[in-house]
Amino acid sequence: MLECRGVSKTYRLKDRAVAALREFDLALPPGSFTVLVGPSGCGKTTALRLLAGLETPTGGTIARSAGDTRVGYVFQEPRLMPWLSVARNVGFALEGRMAKPEIAKRVADILDVIGLHDFAQARPDQLSGGMASRAGLARALVTKPELLLLDEPFAALDAMTRRRLQSELVTLWQCFRPTIVFVTHDIEEAVLLGDEIFLMENGLIAERFANPILRPRDPTDPEIVRLRRAIIAGFEAGEARKTRTPKESTQ
Amino acid sequence: MKRLFAAGPIWPLVAVFIVAIWAAGVSLTGVSRALLPSPVLVADAMRELIDDGVLAKHVRVSVVRLVWGFALSTALALIVAFAFARVALLRRIVEPPLEFLRQIPPLAMIPLLILWLGIGEAQKIGIITLACFFPIFLGTTGGIAQCDPKLIEVGRVSGLSETEILRRIVLPSALPSVVIGLRIALGQGWRALVGAELVASSAGLGYMIEDAQNLARTDIVVVGVIVIGTLGLATDWLFRRAIAAAWPWVRVEHGAETHA
Ligand SMILES: Nc1ncnc2c1ncn2[C@@H]1O[C@H](COP(=O)(O)OP(=O)(O)O)[C@@H](O)[C@H]1O
Ligand SMILES: [Mg+2]
Repeated sequence: MLECRGVSKTYRLKDRAVAALREFDLALPPGSFTVLVGPSGCGKTTALRLLAGLETPTGGTIARSAGDTRVGYVFQEPRLMPWLSVARNVGFALEGRMAKPEIAKRVADILDVIGLHDFAQARPDQLSGGMASRAGLARALVTKPELLLLDEPFAALDAMTRRRLQSELVTLWQCFRPTIVFVTHDIEEAVLLGDEIFLMENGLIAERFANPILRPRDPTDPEIVRLRRAIIAGFEAGEARKTRTPKESTQ
Repeated sequence: MKRLFAAGPIWPLVAVFIVAIWAAGVSLTGVSRALLPSPVLVADAMRELIDDGVLAKHVRVSVVRLVWGFALSTALALIVAFAFARVALLRRIVEPPLEFLRQIPPLAMIPLLILWLGIGEAQKIGIITLACFFPIFLGTTGGIAQCDPKLIEVGRVSGLSETEILRRIVLPSALPSVVIGLRIALGQGWRALVGAELVASSAGLGYMIEDAQNLARTDIVVVGVIVIGTLGLATDWLFRRAIAAAWPWVRVEHGAETHA
């Protein structure tokens, strides 16, 4: 169980403070699939970085259940080591932790899943943008993490690859049951993937949507469409609040 | 520069051209052989030195000194640079005296080094080490400082310890800049070595030049100059080849060694 209570994060710049995240409450039961969705700049990446322990909160608490949780983090950019082959990038977190043949096998398996088998020995600068982001995804999956944090992992992919990897991700999740927090700005993706969807706005969780629709989910399923509409409505209400607030405050 | 060399066959032509001008200049002006011997005389002297094994002996002595000094300073510079990266306090204590030492040309340290280390190999190697240390050290600290913090975060979320992050992320990403430091150091070390051999020595290329000058054998002086330049180019070339083979992602520019 991973729980955030009243977490806030304020970045101090030279002349001002940016409240990237405020009053952030989130409870993640083991094996849950949670999506954070919202426009860019609303604090999604900040939330993930706090969950990963890459940032310390300025307020509130993040409680982890005891035990050494393996964390997989897919960054918004691929962040591959330019001096390592794709295979060694993918096996990066395993090196020195287990025997070489086992690493090789795991890496080969995940490269198959992710469709990068033929590029195992390529260098990162020989990959296209989409391939590089898939390699970043493979690097996080290969450790079989208990907590998997994904920051817009499919944003750089073409629509067809994205569909395929979305269902691969769901399959992996159903097999290994990691706790997933998936960040996206794509409402359709949020609805196809998440069981719990948090709409974020200005560093705040604006609204929570439960998504009990059974998998496999079809984007044209009326229930999916209805949920999408609800989230879009929530988003538009937020936008309306945002444009209204400054006017009210000046009056 | 790069295109010139990539074109390949141009530089031998340039060499031939320079030698031709040299030969023509000597024969037209009739300058004395004590001031500038003709290419033919220099070639004769070189053949003589090669035949009786004198040149090989001096080259071997100089190269062995260079290898030792270079290896020693590489090890020292890498250790100090990474220790600084790991322990901030150490850096704050040790950096000011190091910066002070850096301002002193290695050759100005020769008198002190002779007092402390004698006039044997230790003193020569000491000079080379002093000359090589700072380029490597500065290249390494610069490379470490420029390591992308985003890659370091990858190490953090992969559960790497600080030492592992240094070894597996910071060191490889600093490598291109370490290599530039190594190349500059090689040139500097070579220079310092010949300088040290000119002052107090009984063997080595610098000594050969100094000795020839005392005997008014300008032809041997010129041989020494040519050998030193050629060996410098050759070591740099070998070095670049080795780097390209070991670390193909490090781009090694021709002529990165610009400052003397
Ligand atoms: N390191 C930082 N320093 C200063 N401001 C930051 C930093 N990281 C993020 N921010 C600010 O925090 C807000 C939220 O950023 P982020 O979490 O990256 O949003 P998102 O991922 O939803 O696009 C933005 O206004 C951004 O400018
Ligand atoms: Mg983001």
